[in-house]
Amino acid sequence: MEQHNNEIVKFDNSPPTGIQVVLREFKKDKVAMLSFFGITLLIVVILVASMFLNQEEILKIKLLERFTEPGVNGYRLGADEAGRDMLGQLVIGAKNSILIAFAITIITSVAGIALGIIMGYYGGFIDNLFMRIIDFFITLPSLMIIIVFVTIIPKYGVLELILIISLFQWMSTARLVRSKALSEGKRDYVNASKTMGTSNLAIMFKGILPNLSSILIVEVTLNFAGNVGIETGLSFLGFGLPPSTPSLGTLVNYATNPLVLSTKWWVWLPASILILILMLGINYVGQALRRAADAKQRMG
Amino acid sequence: MCLHKADSGRNYADAKLIDKYNYFSDYLIKEGGDCLNTANDLLTIRNLTTSFRIKETYHAAVEDVSLSLKKNEVLAIVGESGCGKSTLATSIVGLYNTVNTKVTGEIFYNNQNLTQLNDEQFNSLRGNHIGFIFQDPLSALNPLMRIGEQIAEGLMYHTKLSKQQRQERVLELLNQVGITKPERVAKQFPHQLSGGMRQRVVIAIALSCKPSILIADEPTTALDVTIQAQILDLLKVLQSETETGIILITHDLGVVAEIADRVAVMYAGEVVEEAPVQELFTNAKHPYTRSLLNSIPQTHSENERLEVIQGMVPSLMNLPREGCRFSARIPWIDASAHERNPQLHEIAPGHFVRCTCWKHFHLEGEEGGGTV
Ligand SMILES: Nc1ncnc2c1ncn2[C@@H]1O[C@H](COP(=O)(O)OP(=O)(O)O)[C@@H](O)[C@H]1O
Ligand code: SF4
Ligand SMILES: [Mg+2]
Repeated sequence: MEQHNNEIVKFDNSPPTGIQVVLREFKKDKVAMLSFFGITLLIVVILVASMFLNQEEILKIKLLERFTEPGVNGYRLGADEAGRDMLGQLVIGAKNSILIAFAITIITSVAGIALGIIMGYYGGFIDNLFMRIIDFFITLPSLMIIIVFVTIIPKYGVLELILIISLFQWMSTARLVRSKALSEGKRDYVNASKTMGTSNLAIMFKGILPNLSSILIVEVTLNFAGNVGIETGLSFLGFGLPPSTPSLGTLVNYATNPLVLSTKWWVWLPASILILILMLGINYVGQALRRAADAKQRMG
Repeated sequence: MCLHKADSGRNYADAKLIDKYNYFSDYLIKEGGDCLNTANDLLTIRNLTTSFRIKETYHAAVEDVSLSLKKNEVLAIVGESGCGKSTLATSIVGLYNTVNTKVTGEIFYNNQNLTQLNDEQFNSLRGNHIGFIFQDPLSALNPLMRIGEQIAEGLMYHTKLSKQQRQERVLELLNQVGITKPERVAKQFPHQLSGGMRQRVVIAIALSCKPSILIADEPTTALDVTIQAQILDLLKVLQSETETGIILITHDLGVVAEIADRVAVMYAGEVVEEAPVQELFTNAKHPYTRSLLNSIPQTHSENERLEVIQGMVPSLMNLPREGCRFSARIPWIDASAHERNPQLHEIAPGHFVRCTCWKHFHLEGEEGGGTV
């Protein structure tokens, strides 16, 4: 029996999962590290702060306070043309944008992952059918359709917006997961699981899914950044949230007024900067995760 | 009346009962009963044909194979790569893709025809009654699951053991397959183990539910030579302990000599020769078997040249479907010597050879003429 001892390989401390690799990657990449903590802190602060804000009070129109400059009368970031506090609007808008992007990301990820794994694992007819459906959805001009939807639906709010955007955002995740599940499903450990009598469902979601986690984290993170962009973009164009529900996009939209753009910077600049910070930060984190996922493949 | 006693083999405590059954089947044989052979068989394969669909037509990779596996027996299946050995194995455990694979014939286990089972029925059988050992232990283990969890998986589906009991069984199994620090290994991930250890783990997984049949598809091919020997020893020990019937697939006749009781030689999807291991090594008849035996490197041979079989196994689509499939690779044999439609003949008890014209066969460079 002694002889087997030398079979135990030395690299005992090597990372069992991707987590160590990710940590190492973040330690090396200071920008990503900073982004990660910055974004997390920012999101937490926004979500917590929005809970203590009195939304009605903030959105009440006070024409006397019109375009108050920052720092005057307790308006730390000034007021817009209706005399509403910009700081409060910024926090509420950011909260709305982030929560909407979160919701879209969750819906599209769950749908895309479940569908992708089923397609890749079973292949054959199911795979073909859904590939055609995906192709169809991808060829649709989604932005146009969303705009049309938003204009023809009589009463649309946050929920409708989330669902409509989600409808056109699940395909890339499904395709990515499908291609990975296809190759992963051919690996022997899947067959080995089958020979142990494991059910298809358990193989798909307990066996294969964890092995896709590294690329999925990257995909989901970058999708989140993308969804923040889509929502703010739509709101900016006036097809996102109704004006009564501020989002970062509607705040930036004030800049379409030339007077505001040139002389009232405090109305639109903070929201623009916040969008920039959010998008850049999330992307930095996503890039670092992507590198970590690659490094793992190289090591594996 | 046919007694299928395959299941009793699983109950190791019931050795007495088994003896009784054996006695009973011997009695049946003497009396000319109708289940002469099957009474003792764990697994009976009859006229199994497995075809893959390639461009709309089905091509048989395994054709009309009939074999049986007895309790406590190691049946080796040998043949070059591409002979259909893995296809045979995956047909037994239903690991084929049902969309483009057609399986006909019968595989009887425990009064059940395995070719007729659906996925769910297979799931209750696989792992529980039939264990499978893969060629490459690294890819046969889930890279992101701890060893202990992977071994416990089958136990979870097929036994009523509590979590605690499963944990104990995992350690017991790891111990059984010769892993010295079971507690530690159970918590590790596959990439932290060496190749030999991984294969031991794969064997532990296959054994976890005490299957009555173990199918090992080239279990040592991916390992280096010293580890190969250890793994074979392990299989031998485990087999004698557990009385499992093993189907061992290999292209290595050295492995066969070491561990097998009976050998079936496959060529191009067909069984060309089947014999007890002694008989095969001393009295091989079929040209393919003899060519295989001739190609084993011999250290004490004065002949420095390494003998090889000319040509290679034809691909599925180019497989000759008529006449002897091997004739193209022994061109020095006169065409008139070949049989048109070679059949299996029993030339000695338990020794089957496909075709009769092996009598005219001689290896290249040998004297011609019949040897029998
Ligand atoms: N899924 C499949 N589809 C098509 N052809 C296959 C498939 N699996 C195996 N084959 C073919 O069947 C033949 C036998 O393969 P295999 O059983 O793997 O042989 P072995 O295990 O003896 O090396 C080969 O010609 C191989 O190309
Ligand atoms: S001699 Fe017989 S066994 Fe040999 S190749 Fe010809 S037909 Fe086949
Ligand atoms: Mg094979």
